[in-house]
Amino acid sequence: MTTNLQTQPDPRVPAPAPALEVRGLVKHYPGVKALDGVDLVVRQHEVLGLAGENGAGKSTLLKALVGLVRPDGGEIWVRGEKVRLRSVVDAADHGIGMVFQEQSLVPNLTAAENIVLGSEGPGVRRGIYRWNTMRRLAQEQLDKIGSHIDPLARTDTLSFADRQMVEIAKVLRIEERTSHPPVIILDEPTSVLESKEIETLFTQVRRLREFASVVFVSHRLDEVLDVCDRVAVLRGGRSVGEVPSADAAPAELHRMMIGSTGSDDHYHGAVAERPDEARRPRLVVRGLSGKSFRDVDLDVHAGEIVGIVGVHGSGREDVCRALFGAEPTTAGEVVLDGEKLDLSGTRAACAAGVGYVPAERKTEGMVGPMSVADNMTLTKQQSRCTGPLVRPRKQATLVDRWIERLSIRTPHRGTAIQRLSGGNQQKVVLARWLVAGDVRLLLLDHPTRGLDIGARSEVYRLMRELAGSGVATVLLADSLEEAIGMSDRIIVMSDGRATTEVAAPPGGKPTPLDLVKEMV
Amino acid sequence: MSAPALTSPAPDAVVPGRPTVGQRLTAFMPVIALVVLLAALTIADPGFLTLSSLTAAVRTSAPLVVLAAGATLVVLCGGIDLSIAALCSLATVFFALWLPDLGGITTVAIIAATGAIGALQGVAHVLFRIPSFIVTLGGMSIFTAVALVISDAGPVRVVDRDATNWLTLYVGGVVPMAFVVALVLVAAVSLVLRLTPLDSWIRATGYSESAARLAGAPVDRVKIAAFTVSGACAGLAAVMLVSRNFSGSPTMADNLLLPAVAAIVVGGTAITGGHGSLWRSLAGALVVTLLRVGLPIVGVPSAYEQILYGAIIVAAVALTLDRSKVLIIK
Repeated sequence: MTTNLQTQPDPRVPAPAPALEVRGLVKHYPGVKALDGVDLVVRQHEVLGLAGENGAGKSTLLKALVGLVRPDGGEIWVRGEKVRLRSVVDAADHGIGMVFQEQSLVPNLTAAENIVLGSEGPGVRRGIYRWNTMRRLAQEQLDKIGSHIDPLARTDTLSFADRQMVEIAKVLRIEERTSHPPVIILDEPTSVLESKEIETLFTQVRRLREFASVVFVSHRLDEVLDVCDRVAVLRGGRSVGEVPSADAAPAELHRMMIGSTGSDDHYHGAVAERPDEARRPRLVVRGLSGKSFRDVDLDVHAGEIVGIVGVHGSGREDVCRALFGAEPTTAGEVVLDGEKLDLSGTRAACAAGVGYVPAERKTEGMVGPMSVADNMTLTKQQSRCTGPLVRPRKQATLVDRWIERLSIRTPHRGTAIQRLSGGNQQKVVLARWLVAGDVRLLLLDHPTRGLDIGARSEVYRLMRELAGSGVATVLLADSLEEAIGMSDRIIVMSDGRATTEVAAPPGGKPTPLDLVKEMV
Repeated sequence: MSAPALTSPAPDAVVPGRPTVGQRLTAFMPVIALVVLLAALTIADPGFLTLSSLTAAVRTSAPLVVLAAGATLVVLCGGIDLSIAALCSLATVFFALWLPDLGGITTVAIIAATGAIGALQGVAHVLFRIPSFIVTLGGMSIFTAVALVISDAGPVRVVDRDATNWLTLYVGGVVPMAFVVALVLVAAVSLVLRLTPLDSWIRATGYSESAARLAGAPVDRVKIAAFTVSGACAGLAAVMLVSRNFSGSPTMADNLLLPAVAAIVVGGTAITGGHGSLWRSLAGALVVTLLRVGLPIVGVPSAYEQILYGAIIVAAVALTLDRSKVLIIK
């Protein structure tokens, strides 16, 4: 550690002026109040958790704190001084930095270059890179967080966890702009990490507390409670309360988030009654090989949910895409209901009754400015057409029926899908495969990524319902708990191979630990 | 999670579907520009607003409308077709050369041939995954060179004027036939888009190709079709030019590339794809034509035309580009 440890390391002693204070922050967007008078206090040397469902205003609040969004009303105070933040640089000058949800490193640069990028300082003299100085600067940053990453390693060779460390090291450079301990905001830092990496991250967050204040945002309440000192809850753009995490339970937090009692684990072991018909596998995969996976065998029965788990780089995403014809294969055979599946393209897969929900909803799952209706009927055009002609009335009836059936909350079927909340967007994306009623195999790549608990349970219920109707489902879950809770069987992938199969029937679920042992 | 929930719209919520003032202004931008221009020109030269000068302006605009309409489809798909003008020039040469042998069906043959050449560019773009900008830039150079070679670098006279005479007629004695053809083309293509899934596919492809592909939209075929129509439109524009000039020439349409691109962006079609229409390009083409005929009226030498086009393209894109959607400008 090379930084200012002269400040009190004990987080429980309140500092005279809070590191950051938000008073009555308001932000309107067309049609919605994203922030409706939010109050928030971040004390010095504490880890503050920020919880709230989708649309509670977390993202907008964070963006306002780093100068990406200009609030319509309210005040931001930094260490007892009122400030106006107009840009990320402004925020950095006041010692506020953010590690973004989407990783923001340049993959083809070294860790050192990334760390000093944009604030090279002495790393550049007369326009020339001084590699030794830069390396030293980067090393100092990495030392601060006690990371052992080689600063000269190319960023894209690092694991996701290591990249997150690099991001934190990079953000900590704002220390040089201010004489005070900085405020570091971590927006969903765990969403791309596997469970082992998350532990490493948490160790770092706790370490950060010694010389900074941290705002930690995550959808996983257990995480928030685990790593934070205090948790502030937002609902509908307002602050609805704070709890010290020591005596809070996830259920209590959840109740505050949604405004009523609920259980976040009702799906665990939720038994769907499934007709025990002839157990002929619906999907048979034999020896499927591609760029990042080899000799994958996989059977999925009608009405069965099969989870594939594996660490990052296990190749499970690519297997999923390959089954949809979106990733080239080099060998292997896939049979769906006794017929050989054409893997040459996505169109063939769609026609054969295969559906795919991509992990990146915003860029791959939906067409943002297109209406809910057009997004829903994008794949199964025949469902809104008579012959080659689109029948608007036929489409309206169909779409309205599915909006009601899946309780999609949208002002109108003609509303651009990008104006819906994440959970409702995802329901539209799922409905796309259901409108024609011909889907036989659903490939779900992180279908609940970025969704809050309420939206998650609705997606789970929908998955169960579909399985109940005979759809075979392959699930790449967001977490091991989700995989265990939802799957009937779990395939463990490691290094591009399907290594183990674990049965996970209701009542006989494996523990996350059982799976982790197989994954590494 | 950044999208604010719309589950319980606030009482003061904007009613969905009703655009804001700014959005409405952008939507009607080409029409507003057109009216303003007409008014300005009439003030500058009160003699301008006569039937004969309007008829002349509309007649000159026909090839531009056709070229812009075709290229709009490619732009809607998220690409660009820089070869339209060169292909059009080449087509005028072919037309002049083929006419003695093919006679009446030359027009159809030209449109079919240029359509096939457009399709070829589309296939190259899709199959070899080359940016459309590069494919059509290469195409532009190739078509120009071929036109120069087969025409011996000079105009080819058209003696038999019967084949193109119909385009020089006037409907009702007032509206030039060439312009009517252009209108019918825009209307017909727009109608086909509207009535079929093509509209969805094109917009999805233009806005997010990967999302369209993963939704099973026939992205490749849609793109090839767009290039085919763009090529065919270049052929039709060539026939219009020949009907006016009574000759084919290897550089006849070369000065139409910039105006065509200007027409598309002035119309408000997003250069990034996904948003826009052929009607917009029609209005844009009329704006560009008015500027072109209006410059001499206000006393600007026509040499300044190119400066104007350059400035218009940059300004129109600057005005219409939704920068919040474009993270990286390349």
